[in-house]
Amino acid sequence: MNTWVFDFEDVTGGYGGSVVVRGLTGAVAAGQALCVLGRNGVGKSTLLRLLHGFLPLARGSVRFAGRDLAGLDPARRTALGVSFAPQERIVFDDLTVRENLTLMRPGHPLAALAPYFARFPRLAERLGQHAGTLSGGERKLLSLLRVLAEDRPVALLDEPSEGVQSESVRQMATLIGERKAAGAAFVIVEQNLELVEAVADRYLILDQGRTVQAGDRSTLRRAELVAHLRV
Amino acid sequence: MLLLLLALPLALGEYWAFQLGLFFLYAIAALGVALCWGQAGFLPLGQALFVGLAAYLSGAALIQWGEAWWVFLLLPFAAIAAGALAFLLGLIIFRGRSESGPYFAIITLAIALLAFQVANSWNAVTGGYNGMKAIPGLPGLEGFSDVYYLAAVALACAVALCGWLVQAPLGTLWRAIALNERRVAYFGYDTAMLKAIAFGLSGVLAGIAGALYAPQQGLVTPELVGFALSADLVIWVAVGGRKRVLGPVLGAVLVGILSAELRERTYYWDLIVAAVFVFVVLYAPGGIGALLAPLERLLPGRRKALEPLRAPASKAPRSAVTLAIDGVSAAAGEVRILDRLSLAVARPGIYCLIGPNGAGKTSTFNMLTGELRAQAGEVRLDGDILSKPTPYRLARRGVGRKFQIPSVFGELSIDENLRIAVWSARTSLLDWLRPATRRWDTPVMAALRGRYPFLDDGGRLASALSHGERQVLELSMALITEPRLLLLDEPCAGLSSEETAQVREVIRWARDTLGLSVVIIEHDMALVKQLAEHVFVLHQGRLLAEGDVAAIRSDPRVHEVYVGAAE
Amino acid sequence: MDPLLVTQALNVLYEVVTLAVIVLGLAIVFGLLGVMNLAHGEFIALGAYVAYVCQSHGLPYLAAVPAAIAACALLALPVERFLIRPLYDRPFDTLLATWGLSLFMRKAIEIGFGGGYKSLKIPVSDSVLVLGTPFPAYRLLLMALCAALIAALLLWYRRSVAGARVKAMVGNRELAQAVGIRTDRLARDTFVVGLCFAGLAGVMVAPLVSVQPYMGLDYVLRSFFVLVVGGLGSPLGLLSGAAAIGGVESAMSALVDRTAGYSTVLLIAIFFLWRRPHGIFGRS
Repeated sequence: MNTWVFDFEDVTGGYGGSVVVRGLTGAVAAGQALCVLGRNGVGKSTLLRLLHGFLPLARGSVRFAGRDLAGLDPARRTALGVSFAPQERIVFDDLTVRENLTLMRPGHPLAALAPYFARFPRLAERLGQHAGTLSGGERKLLSLLRVLAEDRPVALLDEPSEGVQSESVRQMATLIGERKAAGAAFVIVEQNLELVEAVADRYLILDQGRTVQAGDRSTLRRAELVAHLRV
Repeated sequence: MLLLLLALPLALGEYWAFQLGLFFLYAIAALGVALCWGQAGFLPLGQALFVGLAAYLSGAALIQWGEAWWVFLLLPFAAIAAGALAFLLGLIIFRGRSESGPYFAIITLAIALLAFQVANSWNAVTGGYNGMKAIPGLPGLEGFSDVYYLAAVALACAVALCGWLVQAPLGTLWRAIALNERRVAYFGYDTAMLKAIAFGLSGVLAGIAGALYAPQQGLVTPELVGFALSADLVIWVAVGGRKRVLGPVLGAVLVGILSAELRERTYYWDLIVAAVFVFVVLYAPGGIGALLAPLERLLPGRRKALEPLRAPASKAPRSAVTLAIDGVSAAAGEVRILDRLSLAVARPGIYCLIGPNGAGKTSTFNMLTGELRAQAGEVRLDGDILSKPTPYRLARRGVGRKFQIPSVFGELSIDENLRIAVWSARTSLLDWLRPATRRWDTPVMAALRGRYPFLDDGGRLASALSHGERQVLELSMALITEPRLLLLDEPCAGLSSEETAQVREVIRWARDTLGLSVVIIEHDMALVKQLAEHVFVLHQGRLLAEGDVAAIRSDPRVHEVYVGAAE
Repeated sequence: MDPLLVTQALNVLYEVVTLAVIVLGLAIVFGLLGVMNLAHGEFIALGAYVAYVCQSHGLPYLAAVPAAIAACALLALPVERFLIRPLYDRPFDTLLATWGLSLFMRKAIEIGFGGGYKSLKIPVSDSVLVLGTPFPAYRLLLMALCAALIAALLLWYRRSVAGARVKAMVGNRELAQAVGIRTDRLARDTFVVGLCFAGLAGVMVAPLVSVQPYMGLDYVLRSFFVLVVGGLGSPLGLLSGAAAIGGVESAMSALVDRTAGYSTVLLIAIFFLWRRPHGIFGRS
């Protein structure tokens, strides 16, 4: 009866038996973005890794389209319909930009990506280069493009704007907005308030591995967020 | 035990005296392999080279001067020659590449194979394929029992030597290298030299085995240098247990003798040995030696704590440091990481380095310590241009570093971890061998122990500590080296607010007592506000802004890189 | 043309091409997958012994090809599961475990077939004239087959996405899983394919070498040296490494003697392992 395409409840866990995040609950419907905010080290990336099956849950559950994902490895979750963009080591350095984009879809025409390349011409110029030669910002763009090109119902993004120039961050926000309009759902860990304000439908603020505040667009207050990020 | 050793040849007869004597010699060589592999963490796969070299040398000496009593005095030189070769090879290889991985093993194997080719074809000297024949026994030693006793004495001495080395500071340093060589280098140790010493000593042990092998067997063939013995030594050490002193002896004597006996009678023996070896590699890295652990606990308890000794002063310079980074650029591949970065630390104090992820903060530290090569610009330490810095050289000049992820030596005790820091820049080769060095203490160490009582629980393994305790231990180790410039990468990551407050106090205390300059990479702005006397803000590899906390907080550029542009 | 020169040139070429085929399996398992498999040589030996069994049962020589591939695959599967997979993050232990496996296989072969040499009948025993010089037809055929096999593999590697996926998995396992690659399966398949190539190489060279239980030791070392000199993970490296090692060895053997040939190879290998572990073209 619920309308969430992706939801999680009481998610608890961490690395090697330790507990980094506790009792986190959240959900997104198709066409929505849930933004997870908080300072460095509060467990945002750990949450995403728990959601995608890279770390085992100590407690709680994760569902995609109502189906419990327990026991599925990351590759299966991806195949089911959940894309994942990690925070670190985000592209295949030894592969070309083109291979990075077409690895799982051989024979897929790159032409389908033309609208994306139009926004990021720098990447289009570098299709034949190894991704390891890209700058940090370009890698982030490539990582986002890879996820968007996969065209799955849900995408988990870990700090997509980190190290990306403001102009490109705006482009990213527009792209994510377009995909949302087409029905895709996002869970985005993010620090850049500009991007958050542009795309978030719901948000979750973490501190010390717990939720300190949750809400939707109507309760999103920049001043409070700034305070939470302690800048 | 001693009586048993003495009585064995009488009880078992000449054949067994001969066999046991041979495997005692192999056990000596195996002890050397265990020193490298079990202690210092690199695996020599061509150890037969040193056995063979010493055997040929000793064989030649015996053929030439076999009747004279002073030929005994020549035998040690055969062992020392083997050791010297091993030391030099080790130094050359380890200086060329610092890793201890499989490539070192393959290099030593290739060198041993090369030596086999030489032994096999240099007829004039080695006797070629047929070997060096009719080597006389040692003068005055009649029969296999006498040689057996000599081998037994040599083995006992070798065990004693290894036992002592493992207990000495040198053993601690080797084990630390096996766990994290880079970290040891950051404490100012020449790790290539330390590893070469281990390899050299293993060469001496192999040499002792070889020097006695020649008179015991009366024949040295190229087979001795070949692959088979090198391989057997590794199997014996693995199965016997590489981390314990008696492990390789057990392995060589038990597996070796069983093999020699059973290989002839059952086809399947070698299959069993191979299977056991694979099993040990996969599931039982402690080997048979691990079974001895319960016995060791029965032995009289640990010695009571000894009086601490005041450590000598550090050899690193003591004056206040100045550091100037001037227009440094660095890249990984084509990605620019540092972009004409300039900043300066002119007087003691607490400096914070902040900036969004990917701004180049950790890279700045890596560039200073030589792990990231600067392509343009220069760095001056105390006014001198730093060319080709290495962690080791910088530590020697009083630059310490603490890593973001605490990298204490998990399998060593708290005490050993602290000692490694105390010995940094204070010890010489002689100190590494003296047990008394273990008792060194410094006022800084005592003060830190006073602040953090868990540091007094010296016998605990560092791996058993909580994350917060490990952070504190690593910080303590960095401070105990008494650096002039300390680079701290997120010292409070993952700490509770109470622990964070303690660390903050320690950093202030260290600045006041040691008069040092601290550069801290920090994300927690609250902490920056409390600690920093001066803040550097990095963005995209450049210095975006600097000044005191108030100035930074009111800078709109800093705001923009952190939370995005204002609407 | 000077017939002696032609023969020498053909011999060097033969050495290089067969060496490349010998290395092929390890190029996949070590070069691509990063598994230091010291039992590579024993799988070559396994292929050669399968060929021996086939021939001694009066089967046509080609029957050895599927038989060797089946034998290697059957053995490789449990080896991957129980020996390699638990050790993916421990290259050092992989080296030791596969080395133990090689001792085991060597002894098992010795128990099964005895320690002596087996000689196989050469399937094609004619000679053909090359530029007026007679040269054994099987060698020529073998060279053509090896070249075709290598070319086919290179082409497949270039064209198919499998090579890129393996590269992706080895370079960044977690991201590979994130994009949907079942890394456990891919690693297993790659390993098995590599060992099947080793077995196939064994079938191909068996009639021309002395087939005995210890033949693998020499092959595995030479293969390692080729890969280290040529550089890992690139087809170009495989060929240039084989050319360097095979060429230098056969040239030195012809000019001085076999000992000099092998010693030179060892010296080159030691230098590369020490100073240039990424090969001739590799970055340091």
